[in-house]
Amino acid sequence: MIKRLFLISGITLAAVLMTGCATGPKYAEVAQSIPTLKAEQGRIYFLRSSSIVGAAVQPEIRLNNDVVGKSQPGGFFYVDRPAGQYIAATSTETEKTLSFSLDVGEVKYVRTSPSFGLLVGRMVPTLESAEVAQKELPGLSYTGAQSAGK
Amino acid sequence: MKKKWLFLLAGTLVALSILAGCATPINAQRVEFTPYGKGAAVQQVRMLHTVDVMLDSRYRRQIQQNSLWRLRGVVPQGSVYSAENAVFTIEGRQVHEAYLVLSGTALVGFYLPGEFNFSPLSVPLSLTFESEQHD
Repeated sequence: MIKRLFLISGITLAAVLMTGCATGPKYAEVAQSIPTLKAEQGRIYFLRSSSIVGAAVQPEIRLNNDVVGKSQPGGFFYVDRPAGQYIAATSTETEKTLSFSLDVGEVKYVRTSPSFGLLVGRMVPTLESAEVAQKELPGLSYTGAQSAGK
Repeated sequence: MKKKWLFLLAGTLVALSILAGCATPINAQRVEFTPYGKGAAVQQVRMLHTVDVMLDSRYRRQIQQNSLWRLRGVVPQGSVYSAENAVFTIEGRQVHEAYLVLSGTALVGFYLPGEFNFSPLSVPLSLTFESEQHD
């Protein structure tokens, strides 16, 4: 019985790990090809730490209702947008949102973190300081849909 | 017997609510924001003490000693200051980027720049800070 429990736990853990972490190129590999910001635009980085807690929960991230990417453990991507008001949102069993403003030439960092939910985890978007985000980015993998060079 | 079942049901509902993290949404209202003049001297305040802010949503925030806040404009409730080289958010059911709204030395609430809303504090909080000005 205990043997079977270990087996099930092992399979579950392996499944979580396999579905888990982002697999794109590391930040250092794409940093050179990240373009400079166009006039009238700001940049929003989305990042998620590589913790396996809640790793199976990987919802899409919407920015003002447009899907811009996915929240994946150990992943990051960015989008450039005109200055203005934005709502970043993730949906699992419930919607969690972050509202913020973006100025011209400004770079904002949005972290998504899993939290407990009723049935499945929730993914909470929140602002991260540039200092903390820039320290963490080198350890993350690029998961943007478009090439960083575009 | 009936009472027992009612208690069980109530307990289950409370537990489910806690698990589901049923935070209350923050209280916010639309407000007219007048930005501080572009090109004008930078006006900042530096906090002299760390202050804990208990939001009505029961979330807690901290305004750190020595943190710098830059004047961004005014709303009818007071002057609006954003965190300099840092981020500041308030949280209820959702998360909102927030600027401090100061009336004199009192923190009276928060301006939410992503929504053009003002979220009042039910009890204003006295802050101790010094003003700085840079060209």
